Amino acid sequence: MNHLLLGSGIALPGEPIDNVRLGEKFGTDPRWVERFIGTRTRHLGVDLDTGKPTHTLVDLAAEAGAAAIADAGLEPADIDLVVLATASPDHLMPASVNLVADRLVMQSVPTYQLQSGCAGAVQALALARRMLDDEHATALVIGGDSCAKHLVLDHDFPALPPSELVNYVIFGDGAGAVVLARSEEESGTRLGPVCNTFVGLGRDPGQVIRWFGAADRDSGEQPVDENYKAIEADVPTLAGEMLTELLDRTGWPAESITHLMPPQLGGRMTEHITAGLLDRFGLTAREISCVADTGNNGNALPFLQLHHTLPLAPGDRALAVAIESSKWIRTGFALEGL
Amino acid sequence: MTAPRGAIAVVGIDCRFPGSPTVEDFWRLLLDGRVAAGPVPGDRWDPATLTDVKSGVDTPAAFIDDAAAFDHRFFGISPIEAAAMDPQQRLLLQAAWRACEDAGYAPRSLAGTATSVHVGIMSSEWGNIHLTDYRGMTPQRGSGNGYCMAANRISYHLDLKGPSMAVDTACSSSLVAAALAATTLRAGEANMAIVAGVNLILTPALSIFYDQAGLAAPDGRCKPFAADADGIGRGEGVGVVILRRLADAVADGQRIYAVIEGGAVGSDGRSNGLTAPNRFAQADVIRNAHERAGVDPHDVTFVEGHGTGTRLGDMIEVRALGDVHKGRTRPVLLGSVKANLGHLEGAAGIAGLIKACLSLERRTLPGTPAGAENPDLKLADNGFRLAAGTTRLPSGTVHAGVSSFGLGGTNAHLVLSSPPRTPTPAMRDEQAAVLTVTAATREALAANVAALRDALAAEVRGRVAQFAWTSTRVKTGLRHRAAVGGIGRDALVAACDTLTRTLPGDGRPAAPRVALAFTGQGSQYAGMAAPLYRHCAAFRHHLDEASAALGELPGGTLVELLLAGADLEPTGLAQPALFGVEYAMGRTLVELGVRPVALLGHSVGEFAAVCVADGITLADAARLVVARGTLMQALPGGGAMLAAAVSSAELAELVTVEPGEVLDVAAVNGPRAVTLSGTEAAVERAADAIRAAGRTATRLRVSHAFHSALMRPMLAEFTELAERVGPGSPRYPLYSTVRPGVAGSVDGAYWAEQVCGPVRFAEAAGLLAEAEPTHVVEVGPRPVLLGLLRDVLPAHTSLACSPGPTATGGELASVVAALYRDGVDLDFDHWFPPSARVRRTLPGYVFDRDTRFWFSADDGRSVAAPQRSEPAEQAAPGAGTGTPAAGITTLVLAAIAAVTGHAEAALHPHAQLDELGFDSIMAMRFVDELEPAIGPLDLEALLPNLTTVGTLIDHFERTHQIAEGASV
Repeated sequence: MNHLLLGSGIALPGEPIDNVRLGEKFGTDPRWVERFIGTRTRHLGVDLDTGKPTHTLVDLAAEAGAAAIADAGLEPADIDLVVLATASPDHLMPASVNLVADRLVMQSVPTYQLQSGCAGAVQALALARRMLDDEHATALVIGGDSCAKHLVLDHDFPALPPSELVNYVIFGDGAGAVVLARSEEESGTRLGPVCNTFVGLGRDPGQVIRWFGAADRDSGEQPVDENYKAIEADVPTLAGEMLTELLDRTGWPAESITHLMPPQLGGRMTEHITAGLLDRFGLTAREISCVADTGNNGNALPFLQLHHTLPLAPGDRALAVAIESSKWIRTGFALEGL
Repeated sequence: MTAPRGAIAVVGIDCRFPGSPTVEDFWRLLLDGRVAAGPVPGDRWDPATLTDVKSGVDTPAAFIDDAAAFDHRFFGISPIEAAAMDPQQRLLLQAAWRACEDAGYAPRSLAGTATSVHVGIMSSEWGNIHLTDYRGMTPQRGSGNGYCMAANRISYHLDLKGPSMAVDTACSSSLVAAALAATTLRAGEANMAIVAGVNLILTPALSIFYDQAGLAAPDGRCKPFAADADGIGRGEGVGVVILRRLADAVADGQRIYAVIEGGAVGSDGRSNGLTAPNRFAQADVIRNAHERAGVDPHDVTFVEGHGTGTRLGDMIEVRALGDVHKGRTRPVLLGSVKANLGHLEGAAGIAGLIKACLSLERRTLPGTPAGAENPDLKLADNGFRLAAGTTRLPSGTVHAGVSSFGLGGTNAHLVLSSPPRTPTPAMRDEQAAVLTVTAATREALAANVAALRDALAAEVRGRVAQFAWTSTRVKTGLRHRAAVGGIGRDALVAACDTLTRTLPGDGRPAAPRVALAFTGQGSQYAGMAAPLYRHCAAFRHHLDEASAALGELPGGTLVELLLAGADLEPTGLAQPALFGVEYAMGRTLVELGVRPVALLGHSVGEFAAVCVADGITLADAARLVVARGTLMQALPGGGAMLAAAVSSAELAELVTVEPGEVLDVAAVNGPRAVTLSGTEAAVERAADAIRAAGRTATRLRVSHAFHSALMRPMLAEFTELAERVGPGSPRYPLYSTVRPGVAGSVDGAYWAEQVCGPVRFAEAAGLLAEAEPTHVVEVGPRPVLLGLLRDVLPAHTSLACSPGPTATGGELASVVAALYRDGVDLDFDHWFPPSARVRRTLPGYVFDRDTRFWFSADDGRSVAAPQRSEPAEQAAPGAGTGTPAAGITTLVLAAIAAVTGHAEAALHPHAQLDELGFDSIMAMRFVDELEPAIGPLDLEALLPNLTTVGTLIDHFERTHQIAEGASV
């Protein structure tokens, strides 16, 4: 039995928004974004002019899910279970995954939602893989995030410090999905080991996203906090550890790796981490990255990378690494073309 | 028991059940566990007038909405005939049409095929009412009733040549019909079968009977196999499935809902009473079905039971099932759609079959909303469990059984399995696609465009081209056409929205006459046709062909140059590039089925024109164009060209040539549009002179003085090459710009002459007018000739394959859509690549629901007289009675209205009499209507004129000169 990735799909809201357009709205200097963040474009599920939401997380996840099912040549009825990973569900209840299942006209299927940062995408793959059995042959695995909720469009932007302004240029909205199947087929793209390890013991969170209810909605706390210094310092190290573990578990020689899906933080960070990984492990793999064009859309990212990687040709080997800097989770997975 | 074996595929479904007018609505009703029973609608009977009947008249039942509505115009049935027809026949016609569409066919395309029709039906209440009204009897009532007609009408209207029969085995009628159809297919008597079941509750007769027999549930709800089961609740509706042999369906790539592995039909024989069920006979039928299907009963996951919800019926059914299934480790799930819809009598079997097919396709068994199991049935001991809630069916092959039992003892059981699952991947990028819709009337066209648009908007992006291809297969063949073209879902949806706002007027499109005009040099630009190449597979294929024929050009192949956005200004590139792009565009149109009435090419454009018409091979044309461009480019530069807004005559007066200079007329594009070509000084002087005369003169951006004597130095070498190309005859009329007239043959001398001679475009265009084109399509990277032709040719539609540098690549699809819309018949398989030729599910035809026909019998019954609702389109009163002033036109119109029942306003001169349902019986009545007013008619002279309303009127105007206003 193999676990095969049968298809993939993505959903990015609206047209890409470039740094010039963003500068017009937020007063951010396009050259600063280009130089220090490295993100060229992103997609947002909100109309920047009117502030009206255009795409919810459920919209994006359902579209990506439907596209992945179609890419696999299947229909929603062929799906035996659904897993959605997101850090930004439309509601705490009902779980967005069930609204997605409803959109896809599914009934009587197990659904799971993982509340996590970008590691959630890998956790979703790990969970889906575990849940596939004799009765459940095919899983739809979705990751997506929407930051529109956090974009206050009428700030006094010139007064914001760079650390807060970063949040306005680094993130984006989107969703991605894959169809994972347990199959006796001997050809296709096989999902190898999936690693998901909590490594945050005693370590301060690098990122916090708070939620508020009726009692604390006026607490004055900042909804989003990022410790970019900690992220910059620790993510490359953790990425290296993850790659080591993946190479160990697969037993693949570094030189046999054809594709590398590095952590997607922002264009510059990803460039920097990738260069370090290639150098340290002597990899000749092709880098598959998307964050510079899509913005950091969290749980969508590994699936967007997968979408650009699939299907693998026979003999191709791909390794993916995603590091979640909230309470520090190290994740990764391996793919192989059969 | 020697019936041939073989799996049968269910490839199409349509239904209209209580609370669920479409298949998807039905599925949602099942998933929601809704129960459709309700009070007797006012248009059936009035229980209040039947208080002397003891019981049964006001028992709730499950009724469909608006049973009276019928799109009679769609089927060419006159209002008189429609009003006389059993409404069950009307429901069947519409549902059969939609089911054929669902199976992926344009229903008209089935004409003449060996398709059989098997209709299960047990109610003849309409006939009972209308055929006992002897005074109101009409021929239409005769043909409008009877079980046979229910099936035969479908065969008639779709022109199907296979066996056509009604099946009445009481409540098992439609499942027996399905079993018979499967046998018919296995025996090779038909290649496709339409199986239907229909039931309408028009009188309380059976309700009273069930009540008298102690079989009626007081709340009108069947509660199959449940503790609360207390009898039958009635229901009505229509269901249709399309069957094919599995191997045929798989070979044709059809959507398969489920597979009928085998089935059996048998009788109770002499049971405890004519209407008493027989456990052992039922068990035998189930066993036989399994044996024929080759499926072990232990492999069955669920059974869609007969399940009327009567204590005795349920008990015997479960014991019979237990005889076959007892002793299993995992219980079979047992349910019945009767819990949702009630007992549909003649349509009960098809309702259960449709539910089972959808469950297998969607791997989800909806629950049976009947309450807790009846413990007396000992379901568990018999190997069963009531399917209370929705159950997910396992992956892999799932088997299911469907039972249906008739009151008189005819039992049927089918063994089904889940469909083979062949992945059909979506496409990764959005392709240029054409979406087509056709309808019987203009109003219906708008409604059908809207329905398709909504379905398209909900389609996955990667499947939009497949959806569009399916529309070109299914949504075609009716009188009124709509079509849109574009790239991707959003563009097509937007185009549909625009279209619904601007739908064309009424009338059958005249056969369009298409002229293709191939643009000349100067229209090229860097990156031209690149978006089209990326988005249109057909164009890509032909451009690849042309690119290969042209070979390596300076800087790369043509495709490489176009995609790289290379500069195409050097004439050595411009000419081959234009040729390649125009050839690919033109070839795409011709392969689709465009048969041009005229071709016209401006200068180098003539190569693509002749090549598309097979007057020169692609290889020869490519070689000549490359040589032509290369040789011209090698000529010394310095020549100039000038476009001048003067006539040829004025030119002679204004312009002079000094010795040693060259100044030739390169092209005459219009009466006041001339292009000059020659040496720099001569051209400049000519420009001054023309401007001095107050006319416009514009220098052209060219490297050489084309079509002038300055080209002569290359002529010898080019002629030598050209003469190696044998003569060819364009298969479409080529209006030559070299030798005015239609070029019968084109040879090397022609191409040589073309180099130096003027482009006699205006003359060619003038002659082209004789071809009377209704559409001119400019084949080139940007429209240049359309403007020139607009003034010269009679009114026509101008279409450009590419608008210029703003092209998105979707424009050619829009041109193709416009041609189809206006009546050109196209084979879209030549547009869509194989990966797009995947059947998707489209919404069924949206029938017009504005016309209603209901009871019209004066049956003299003192009780239970059905409430009458008049047809919306009331039959017109007879003609000729006391009409003081009527011209022959008025008389004829009134007579047609009288015999067909159409309102006179519907009788447009172009209306086809056959589409109005005007048949031979009506022709005789028409004569009877007219003769009292205008005297004896010559029937033989009349018959050939029974084509359109206008023709008929013309006939009478010729033969019966009655002055307007004259008294008759």
